Amino acid sequence: MKIVIIGGTGLIGSNVTKKLRQLGHTVIAGSPSTGINALTGEGLSNALENTDVVVDLSNSPSFEDGPAIQFFETVGRNILSAELNAGVKHHVVLSIVGTHLMEGMGYMRAKKIQEDLVKSSGVPYTIVRSTQFQEFVPTIAAGGTQGSEVHVSKLDFQPIAAEEVALFIARFAISEPANGTVEIAGPVRGPMSKFVEAYVKTNDAGKTVIANDSNEYFGLAVPTSTLVPEGNAYLGETRFQEYLQSLSPQA
Amino acid sequence: MKQFSNLDQNSSNHTNLEWERQLLLDLGNDITKVRDKNDLIVLFSDRIKSLMHFTHTIVTLIDRKDETYKPFLLDHRASAIKDHPEYDDMVKACFPLDEPFIQSVVAAGGPVDFFLADIVDAPQSPAFLRVNFEKGIRHVLMTTLRTGDQPIGFIHIYTDQHDGFSQEFKDIVQRITPQLSSAVSNIIKNEEILQKENEKSFLLDFSNDMTAVRSRDDLAVVVKTALRKLNPEGGYVIRKINEDGLTMSAYLYDTGASAFDPALLERVLSEKYPINDGLQNRILDSYIPLLFNVGRELQRGYNLSYLNLWENMGFKTMVGIALRNGNANIGLLWLSIDEINIPILQGICSQIAIAMGNIMANEDILRRQAEQQLMLTFSNDITGVKSKSDLDHVVSNVLQGLFQTRIAVMYLLAEDQVTLRPYLFDRQFFQETEVAEHEEFYSLNINEQHIKLVFESNQPILLDIDETLEAKCLKLSIQREQRGINTVYASALRLGEQNLGMVWMLGERISGPLLQGICAQISTAVSNVLAHEQILRLKRELENENDYLKQQLNQDFEEIVGGGEAMQQVYRLISLVAESNSTVLLLGETGTGKELIAKAVHNASSRKEKLMIKVNCAAMPASLIESELFGHERGAFTGAVERRIGKFELANNSTLFLDEVGEMPLETQVKLLRVLQEKEMERVGGKTTIKLNVRIIAATNRDLEAEVKAGRFRSDLYYRLNVFPIKLPPLRDRREDIESLAGFFLSKFSKSIGKKTVKLSANALRQLQAYLWPGNVRELEHLIERSVILATGPMITEFFLPPATGATTEDPMRPSDLPLEEVERMHIIQILRRCGGKISGIGGAAEILGIPGNTLHSKMRKLGISKADYYAH
Ligand SMILES: NC(=O)c1ccc[n+]([C@@H]2O[C@H](COP(=O)([O-])OP(=O)(O)OC[C@H]3O[C@@H](n4cnc5c(N)ncnc54)[C@H](OP(=O)(O)O)[C@@H]3O)[C@@H](O)[C@H]2O)c1
Repeated sequence: MKIVIIGGTGLIGSNVTKKLRQLGHTVIAGSPSTGINALTGEGLSNALENTDVVVDLSNSPSFEDGPAIQFFETVGRNILSAELNAGVKHHVVLSIVGTHLMEGMGYMRAKKIQEDLVKSSGVPYTIVRSTQFQEFVPTIAAGGTQGSEVHVSKLDFQPIAAEEVALFIARFAISEPANGTVEIAGPVRGPMSKFVEAYVKTNDAGKTVIANDSNEYFGLAVPTSTLVPEGNAYLGETRFQEYLQSLSPQA
Repeated sequence: MKQFSNLDQNSSNHTNLEWERQLLLDLGNDITKVRDKNDLIVLFSDRIKSLMHFTHTIVTLIDRKDETYKPFLLDHRASAIKDHPEYDDMVKACFPLDEPFIQSVVAAGGPVDFFLADIVDAPQSPAFLRVNFEKGIRHVLMTTLRTGDQPIGFIHIYTDQHDGFSQEFKDIVQRITPQLSSAVSNIIKNEEILQKENEKSFLLDFSNDMTAVRSRDDLAVVVKTALRKLNPEGGYVIRKINEDGLTMSAYLYDTGASAFDPALLERVLSEKYPINDGLQNRILDSYIPLLFNVGRELQRGYNLSYLNLWENMGFKTMVGIALRNGNANIGLLWLSIDEINIPILQGICSQIAIAMGNIMANEDILRRQAEQQLMLTFSNDITGVKSKSDLDHVVSNVLQGLFQTRIAVMYLLAEDQVTLRPYLFDRQFFQETEVAEHEEFYSLNINEQHIKLVFESNQPILLDIDETLEAKCLKLSIQREQRGINTVYASALRLGEQNLGMVWMLGERISGPLLQGICAQISTAVSNVLAHEQILRLKRELENENDYLKQQLNQDFEEIVGGGEAMQQVYRLISLVAESNSTVLLLGETGTGKELIAKAVHNASSRKEKLMIKVNCAAMPASLIESELFGHERGAFTGAVERRIGKFELANNSTLFLDEVGEMPLETQVKLLRVLQEKEMERVGGKTTIKLNVRIIAATNRDLEAEVKAGRFRSDLYYRLNVFPIKLPPLRDRREDIESLAGFFLSKFSKSIGKKTVKLSANALRQLQAYLWPGNVRELEHLIERSVILATGPMITEFFLPPATGATTEDPMRPSDLPLEEVERMHIIQILRRCGGKISGIGGAAEILGIPGNTLHSKMRKLGISKADYYAH
């Protein structure tokens, strides 16, 4: 199959590209640096010629509300127009669990718009909603850091290893379109504060994690289970502990 | 310079370094000089060839999007394989990075020398190794070019020598690789910059050219020039969204260098393609240009003639780009090209869209100007419309010009305010006689369902021609069939609140608002035409009346004859009063020529250019005098079927002769008086006041004073009329005129029956002079007429006159009832009067009475007859 990965040079994209190539597929890794810009359309229509599957793993360079919405809306529309035209048979997109509950956050609203565009496009699709990557926990910790304290809420949390995200995406890309949303998550669910604490303990022992009941995620108060799958999710095997071990120098 | 293989082993490193420095310097210079990127590889080869024998070198570049590498810089001149059948394929090919040969190159820290025989057949080895091997190449020295740690490409150095490359050479290559890498990435960057600049200057040129574009033809030239630059062979078509908003049609096109079936092209150009035809909607929905594979779209089952045309033309891929003004789609561009250059295509298209918008706006302005001109002409023309045929002509012109249509039917609302009768119609479908003969059938009822809608709306409405409408409306079905039109425009014709009628009109290009304006003007014109038609009818009526009056007057016209003293007095009075406008009252017995005198007064006045109007107040039933005088409105009384103009109105600015005014009924006298006082009147049953400038001449044979006393004539009217009385003498009082009058009538009647003028004998003349003439001049006239007819010879010798006594009509009393003395007295007075007071001598009373003059004198004294008695009248 010919598979085009939009955002094929990114964290998830490059990994998915590698995996699909390993499986013997012809894979085009699309990104502005490889001459495929979904925002301007440059190279897009040419790249999609005779393509069977498109996986959208692009990400907005800016996380601010306006630019993020602009990015996902334009990119989504352009990719889908080009897909319809080229007769692409499957569109896979990576989204985030709970986007519909976090529309107070511009980035989440943007992801929701991206999902809706896909649903109404007419192209067979699979929307993959992932929980936060284990690799994202340091960012959460940094976000909650105030001096030597790390403030973080006890929201339900179930992070997944990026490697497994890539694996799932590759798997969905070569499967039949679900024409619906599937969820993927890490193997273990717990309070977000526990995961952050584990990370801080191994990497920044000087700091203390202070768990709170604010139910906030990056400043936005959300229902407790926002960040975990709603239904039956595909679960990864890799535990957060393994990620932490990979960070330690001796690993 | 010596080659490395021959290089003295002892030669110092210093020399080598020196040489390398020089080489790099030269290469640096070369790079700045290169025009074509391939020059670099040529120059590089030339410089290092002095060091070592090799056949050719190439540079390949890694494409990260699909992890392949492909030729970038080629030394076509030196290539050992350029005659190989697979050479062209090799130049275009992409070679995967994930195979052992190239992976080992990437993994190595520097140049790797491969003995081709060892690897050509290894699994996954790239084909170019085999191709080179087949052309006698034995070794290849592969070096990875990097920016930072990232491999960006490779330099391949090929040789046909079995012993391959020396270590020194490899060392030098390794040392110059970083420079070479940066040279290559500079080339890439330069290429990018150059491309950007080309794009910019392309778009600049294009927009310069576009500024001069005013018309579709201008646009065609500029677009063609630009698109030819992108793809000299390619064709294109710009399609514009049609006014229906649902389809698109070709606006501009070029077939490029292709050969094609002209009939197919013709068909595609004339076809309207639905926007949602499966392909065009993809483009209009997309914000980016889309690439279409013609063959695949056909395979997908899109049965569109333009796809067939492109296949026929040999166009394999087409790019489709929406043309938008702001966010609104106005059309699209289809272009046969393989590579999409987004900045250029979007730049071109946004400018084309703007230009098209301007051209359309321009065309719109021109169209509107033409419309306005048409409407202006129409407005001018329609004000001059006087007749139905004018109306037909003017309306047809404007409808043809604006909407390419005609009036199907124009109906007028009948007086019953219910029936709509056809007035104008499209003669293509109706025959005049047919409609006239079947008026009932072709008429509509205003209360009928569809028609009601028309009159309820204050603007034109569009009705679907369904069966009910078809049944009701004249031959719409035929028009529907012939012209394929399924709707009809209907508009009421109104003047203010009043409904006048309605028009039907068929057409595809009818604009409601314009039609509304036109209908308003048609309404005014229709009511003008109707009014004008009525004026014409009234005028004809008047003319008839006038003709009749003229005839009457001509008939009566005779000159006044008589030079006697009595008439001289009358003439003086006439000339005195004629010039003034004052009312004249003519008094005199019947037959004294009152009408003649009235005519003379009129003819001597400044009003003589107009006809004098006569009313005989005695000759008319009392009930009709009023309408005869003042006219009436239609329906003013039973029998007043038409409006009638009265004599007063006819006499405006002229003279009205009221003959026998003494016979006028009292009620009419009141009205007459009012008109004389106010100098204005109203028609019977009318409301508007009509100002009058009428000179009145009244005449009567009655003693009006006595009539006033008797209460039969209003005294105020009498004083109004009696401004300037002229008394006409009876004939018996002007016997001196009898001869000339008789002569006048003799010649007149002789002429009229074609005789030589009949003469009078002296006896006959004496007879006339002796007669009392109770009927005055008229009696004389009739007597002579009769006599001329009866005369057998050239001369009348005797008249048969009634006996003198019996002729007296003036005396109401029967003589037998009176005493003798009184009878005697009256008889003498009568005779005296007849003789004009002459007592004795010839023609004197004594002679007639058969007594001597003296005897008469004494009798008169005895009976107390004074002058006053016989001169009183
Ligand atoms: N991080 C998480 O926790 C998480 C969780 C769930 C879902 N996701 C979703 O997963 C997706 C991928 O995330 P990621 O972390 O792999 O992102 P990433 O590492 O930031 O990669 C983004 C990719 O998008 C490409 N890109 C940027 N602009 C582009 C454009 N105009 N046209 C085409 N490609 C463009 C980038 O190309 P260049 O490298 O050339 O800039 C890069 O390849 C995102 O949509 C994200 O929302 C993330």
